[in-house]
Amino acid sequence: MRVLISILLIALFSVFAEQHWAWWSIAFIAFLLPLLLNLKPAAAFLAGFGGIGLFWAVTAVVKDNANEHILSQKMAVLFHLPNYFLFIVVTVLIGALVGGLSGLTGSYIRRMF
Amino acid sequence: MRILRAIILLIITAGFIYVLDNPAGSLPAIGRLLDPVNGCWANAEPVDANFTFDLQLNELHHPVKVWFDDRMIAHVHAADDHDLYYTEGYIHAYFRLWQMDMETRAAAGRVSEVVGGKALKFDRTQRRKGMVYGAENSLQAIEADDRTKEMMDAYTAGVNTYIATLRYRSMPLEYKLMDFEPENWTNLKSALLLKYMADDLTGYTEDIPLTFLRDMLPKGEFDMLFPERLKDSRPVIPAGTAFEAPSLGIPTAPNDSIWWHFKAGSIAGTLHRETEGKGSNNWVLSGAKTKSGAPILCNDPHLGLNLPSLWYEVQLQTPDMNVYGISLPGAPGIVIGFNDSIAWGFTNNYRDVKDFYAIKAIRPGSGDPVAYWYDNKQVPFKVKIEKIAVKDGDTVIDKVNYTVQGPVIYDENFPGPGDIKTPMALCWMAHRGTNELLCLYLLNRAHSYTEFMDAIMHFECPGQNMAYADKAGNIAIWGQGQFINKWKEQGRYIMNGATSTTAWGDLIPMRENPHVLNPAQGFVCSANQTVTDSTYPYWYNGYFYEFRAWRINHVLDSMRAATVEEMFALQNDTYSILAANTLPVMLKYLPADISDAGKAYADELKGWDYRLTPESKAATMYQVWWSYLYAGFWGKRFKNVPESLWPSPELTMEMLQSYLANDTAKTGLQHVADNVKSSYNETVDSLNKLKKAPGLEWYKVKNTTVAHLTKLSAFSYDDLKIGGWENTVNAAKSNHGPSWRMVVQMSKQTEAYGVYPGGQSGNPGSKYYASFLQYWVEGKYYKLLFFPNDTRQDAKQIKYTWTLHP
Repeated sequence: MRVLISILLIALFSVFAEQHWAWWSIAFIAFLLPLLLNLKPAAAFLAGFGGIGLFWAVTAVVKDNANEHILSQKMAVLFHLPNYFLFIVVTVLIGALVGGLSGLTGSYIRRMF
Repeated sequence: MRILRAIILLIITAGFIYVLDNPAGSLPAIGRLLDPVNGCWANAEPVDANFTFDLQLNELHHPVKVWFDDRMIAHVHAADDHDLYYTEGYIHAYFRLWQMDMETRAAAGRVSEVVGGKALKFDRTQRRKGMVYGAENSLQAIEADDRTKEMMDAYTAGVNTYIATLRYRSMPLEYKLMDFEPENWTNLKSALLLKYMADDLTGYTEDIPLTFLRDMLPKGEFDMLFPERLKDSRPVIPAGTAFEAPSLGIPTAPNDSIWWHFKAGSIAGTLHRETEGKGSNNWVLSGAKTKSGAPILCNDPHLGLNLPSLWYEVQLQTPDMNVYGISLPGAPGIVIGFNDSIAWGFTNNYRDVKDFYAIKAIRPGSGDPVAYWYDNKQVPFKVKIEKIAVKDGDTVIDKVNYTVQGPVIYDENFPGPGDIKTPMALCWMAHRGTNELLCLYLLNRAHSYTEFMDAIMHFECPGQNMAYADKAGNIAIWGQGQFINKWKEQGRYIMNGATSTTAWGDLIPMRENPHVLNPAQGFVCSANQTVTDSTYPYWYNGYFYEFRAWRINHVLDSMRAATVEEMFALQNDTYSILAANTLPVMLKYLPADISDAGKAYADELKGWDYRLTPESKAATMYQVWWSYLYAGFWGKRFKNVPESLWPSPELTMEMLQSYLANDTAKTGLQHVADNVKSSYNETVDSLNKLKKAPGLEWYKVKNTTVAHLTKLSAFSYDDLKIGGWENTVNAAKSNHGPSWRMVVQMSKQTEAYGVYPGGQSGNPGSKYYASFLQYWVEGKYYKLLFFPNDTRQDAKQIKYTWTLHP
């Protein structure tokens, strides 16, 4: 339950963060929340991974649908990927990994003391 | 332990983010790029994006309306010139900023700054050519005229207003991929863009290779194989047109040693000419030859096929002007188009306005030369220090010496073609301070032939064949540009730069340029062929092509009651004059003892209609065979000389024809029958290979590609199903071809059609990025929406509206 709420909160705060700061501000959200909520390492990773992954996935899919894959198809070719869907997957994975690692870091730092 | 664990993970995470936020080599910053909010996904323009909005732009004098039709053509209505060009700048930047930036960087030799050392040679060449020097001279001329100064200032302000709104999120995708940012626009950048066009259209030169060939061949043979003009040319100004007596005396060649020579035994293995010829077609039919009784003007300028397209289609209105056509993103005004009274179109004129001078440098001891001999005096070089910034590298300093003639483009530090180390100074019309923008300003507003002439007297470089039609029924063509009154052969070869006797002389008054108004034949036509017959009093040379002009003249000669549809067909015509005149000879000498595969190909060729249509296999067979045959004729004689320096295909064709007529070897071609046979054997081998991949269809072998300026294939379109070649009217080569096709019928209600291989948006993520491409490939046209000059328009024809408030 705490993980699920954390995922939603991270996603929500990240939306706000990216409106104002550079893309890597998401790392601070995914880092701070598990630290403050004192999540266990596995839960923290999951919260960051899921939170940022969710946010980036929803954003990318919404934009891609509105764009009818015009851009994603071209970017897929640029990245030597077979189709646009995999380009979305790569996008989401990058964000999710940044979130997961940040969450884990937050949890470990809390556990330092 | 826990502390160590946390710190290690912190470092890993921070490192991961650092890597994602920083470009590595040619790879962009992946995290920043993929971020769905600000990265590339921000450039995924919704297909139903609403472009209607209100905007406050403080620098405007009055409100401005911009109407977009369903093809996203912008129709601008402004109250004065300032507001018009300010808005045009804003629109160009809004849709095409990155391209404007790159093209002006390319002109100025500043590409290394954003792509790294791989562009260094290109940048050095641009600096040594004197591109910035020429642009600065022109900028002075532009700013010295109140009209063009206001035009340019307003345009630049409009571009900068848009640039100021940009954040990383809203930047064109290419900036994100290449990891740099736009800088402020300046009037100089627009001047650079105009010089970029001048370089594209007059930069081609044969002075160096012709010097080599002249030195290599006996005079008789050289004169026969490399004639100044082909005797059967159908010139731009119809043969027999009377020219006025020249106001200047025709100079005679000086007696001193005026030429520079290659050292005996030099090898020309690295000499090269460009292979992608630059061509264009325009023609105008008088009302006597059209069905409607109104003149029809057609134009298709051939340029490099790129995305974002070189052109941006637009209509511009102020209370005293209403003009429609194609504009160059990066410069104000309309280049080719029509207004409510006249229509005009350009093709490249190709008279030689770029000459080389061999410089006798003087060096103090062992260092770089500091001066040169000129009329037996020592004259110090003017030195321009060129600093070339290189991305991820040290700034490179190049020293360019200037003589009285111009910049020394080649020397020991930067050898020229054929490894020429003798310093070569460049004298080029594009270096001069000319104001072509004033021509466009006046042309856009011209209502009569007199006003058209007044306008084009300001178009000095690049020289263009300017076709004209008006609603009064007049048609005309001018071989326009600023030219020098030269002595015979001046500037055809590398000249001795140590004497003032070889220097460029007087300017030919532009009113004396070759032209014709309402010729008896009822039409005018240019397709980069020789400008005049030999009765034109002033001497000139140039790089002329004849095939397309032959074809167009031939079709128009017999045309009666022409319609716009017939004009579409002619612009898309793929009939090969070369094939029609050479294939019968080739087939005649084809021996009987050939393989079965060879017989099958020959049978297909016998039934061919000489059209290079996309799916034609015979077209491929002929093109391959011709290239082997051509190599057979000239390859041995011109060993070590690249193919593009061989006698022209036009001349080779005429030799083959006369060979056939006389059936003798006296016509200059040796062993025709042997060459036909051996080239056919090579052809059959090649065709057998091509058959497996990519297939024998002409479009597959030719592979016409419209490439993004970065050459990234992801943003390019290849394998386009289009016919033609450089020698057919539809001159679609591999990466070069018709950059805009336009047909304008000057009836009471102007009827205009057009298409270009691209789209109005420069954003690869927009549905308007290449939206016209398929129509272009298929030879279809859009009817151009020419709004009346009014503050209100028919709402049914408008999809989006910008309302701009001061």
